[in-house]
Amino acid sequence: MAGAGSAALWLGGCGGSSNTAKPVPGDEWKQFAGTTLNFISENTAPTSAIAAKLDPFTKLTGIEIKITQLELAAMVQKVALDFASGEGAYQIVYADPYQVMAPYNQALADLTEFQQDPNLPHAEPFDDFVSFQLDASGRFGDREKLFALPYDAPTMIWMYRKDLFEKYGEQMKQDLGFDPNPRDDSTWDDFYKTSEWLKKNADKTGVPYGHGHMAKQHDSLMNDFSNLLWAYGGQYFEDDAKVGSLGSAEPGEPQLTSDEALAGADMYRKLVSIAHPASLGWDWTGLAEGFMAGGMAMAPLWHEFASGIEVSDIKGKVGYARLPRGPKRSANMFGGTGIGVNGVAPKREQKAAWLFVLWATQKDTQLANLKSKVGGGTPTRDSVYALPEVEKARKPPSKLPNMLPMDAVFEAWKPENVGLRPKIAAWNECDTTIFTQLSKMLAGQQGPEKCMSNTKEGFEKAIENAKKSLRRA
Amino acid sequence: MATTTVDERPREASAPRAKRKESRYSFEARMMTPALLVLALLSIFPFVYLILMSLSAVGLIGGISLDFVGLDNWTRLFTDSAVGASWLRSVVYFILTVGLEMGLGIAIALLVHELVWGKNIALSLILMPMFMAPVIVGLLGRFLTDSTYGLYAWVLRETGLYSGDILGTTTAAFLAVTLMDVWQWTPLIALIVLAGLASVPGQILEAAKVDGATYLQRLRHIVLPTIAGVIIVALLIRSMDAIRYFDIITNTTNGGPADATKIVPIRLYETGFRFFDLGYAAAIGLSMLAVSILLANVFLRILKRRGLAR
Repeated sequence: MAGAGSAALWLGGCGGSSNTAKPVPGDEWKQFAGTTLNFISENTAPTSAIAAKLDPFTKLTGIEIKITQLELAAMVQKVALDFASGEGAYQIVYADPYQVMAPYNQALADLTEFQQDPNLPHAEPFDDFVSFQLDASGRFGDREKLFALPYDAPTMIWMYRKDLFEKYGEQMKQDLGFDPNPRDDSTWDDFYKTSEWLKKNADKTGVPYGHGHMAKQHDSLMNDFSNLLWAYGGQYFEDDAKVGSLGSAEPGEPQLTSDEALAGADMYRKLVSIAHPASLGWDWTGLAEGFMAGGMAMAPLWHEFASGIEVSDIKGKVGYARLPRGPKRSANMFGGTGIGVNGVAPKREQKAAWLFVLWATQKDTQLANLKSKVGGGTPTRDSVYALPEVEKARKPPSKLPNMLPMDAVFEAWKPENVGLRPKIAAWNECDTTIFTQLSKMLAGQQGPEKCMSNTKEGFEKAIENAKKSLRRA
Repeated sequence: MATTTVDERPREASAPRAKRKESRYSFEARMMTPALLVLALLSIFPFVYLILMSLSAVGLIGGISLDFVGLDNWTRLFTDSAVGASWLRSVVYFILTVGLEMGLGIAIALLVHELVWGKNIALSLILMPMFMAPVIVGLLGRFLTDSTYGLYAWVLRETGLYSGDILGTTTAAFLAVTLMDVWQWTPLIALIVLAGLASVPGQILEAAKVDGATYLQRLRHIVLPTIAGVIIVALLIRSMDAIRYFDIITNTTNGGPADATKIVPIRLYETGFRFFDLGYAAAIGLSMLAVSILLANVFLRILKRRGLAR
């Protein structure tokens, strides 16, 4: 009650777009009671979980949250137009690091200002976030500014039908001359041969194809291919690690015509040639559905699909491992995103939005998301993984199916294994260039050399266009 | 005297008429002003703004800003091989969809016209697809052609006709999105042609029949010439729509695979709302508008030549 009273007093003085009056000590969470905020997000598991259980936040702050969930491309479009309108209608933004943060970071609020504001509640320690994710999901260009807090963390891993590997593993080993089970030193070449064996023995196993890909002309194709590019030693730019982690306005020259990049493209083409034929029309959802329907024995997939797999017809039959190695390393695409505050919105609404960002990424909320029946998601804080109940859930039978692949995911998150695509302002156009050129390669219209040289050319044009835009801005 | 009287009458009569004419003109102008203002607001202002955008680099952050770049976007448009390829695809798609829709629509209308009973039920069933939102047709098409659970994919696979992924291979995907559009809009042509068939004089057909003309002869020499105007109107309506085809492709292939279904509207959307290169998108959009106007004029000229339009 006292809180409500002080909130009313506080609101009484809040007519304008900003307010410098101090809230009653201990009542920082209530100072924006009565405000309504809009949160725009991709239709992802954590947002579904949060949408289903917003009461705790509303009770804590008195702030009403309206959530809009959209397919990623549609969401990016709405966010960009909102930034352009200058209205700031969506105060809380799902700040995809590549499609929102890199091109529009000037329109996102710097969260360090809120973290340093004595009148606002502070985030639980930032160093509790999984080490690389604060940079990858929250920053652009330098470490001085923070545009988002890590919110989700899907990562590509190797999913395989362990029931088939248990049953036919010995025979496969004899026929192939190596252990087909995922090992530390499993290579993409081993993966190819295993898939070929599984396809040849489809009558025996009852599963028609060895593996599948998400090779539709879509963002999924870039994600899928990048694992091979990096594994074979190829890079998008000279310093891919930095460009992927912090991002850069000056990424340098594209490196896509290197011998390593060509080898990666060639191997990808080879893999798709024996994969489930529907791979060419599948994005990640299509591939996951095909895998769950028993269409193939292996697939490189986002680990968060485990929550669906573990309630499907193949529950309990799937094993999870980090992706195979190439001549250089194992590379596992990280697709994590942060949530940030719209810098175009009025200052008071920005501060209220900060409260939501804090709440949505704090330990208790992440645990609740993980347990949610409608969501799932993956925590981005180390402290959540350290909880006994979460740790226990990493072994079957598990009440938290998203935890089952976590051993593989932790491997994938190691600096030597993680794959981070370039975080550059021109990424939307570069992404479209690469998945279009790869699609042409897979359709047999061009070879890997032509594919990679066309992609490089497209990257150069896109970067030049983006530079011109930035100069004008 | 008589001459004077005759001379004055017209002067007296024409003066008030001129006054009335003037006042009527200003009344019309006053009445039309609000409508013209609304039209200006809704059409003319955006059109002029679009032209300005096509001559500018459009910035988004911190509010929309236009930076004049002259004819850069237009030069790029005419030298961009990717846009050229999209135009080529659009032409093939246009010929296929409109051609199939016209052929099938006329055939269905002729069949339904001959029905003695069950005409209303048949017509209701035939018209159903065109009452669906194109986005739903796209989703339905995607569902039916999905390799994992799609009925059409399953039928084609089981009958051995096609085992690949329908939306994952270039030719199949192009044909699939074409057929989805044909499925939805053939009924519209059938409906328009059916309305035209009602105007074919029964006595002439009877007379031709008595004179021994076969069905095909009656069709060629009586029916088709009579309904030619209606057919051209149907063609005009569908052509205008086919140029803007977007929803079904967005929901099925989104331009892929290998750009096989990336027709001009998809490229326009991608340029405008994925790359936010709004200046260039405006140039592409205006080029689409020019083609639409050109096409509409061709059809209107045909109608005029036949004396069916003023």
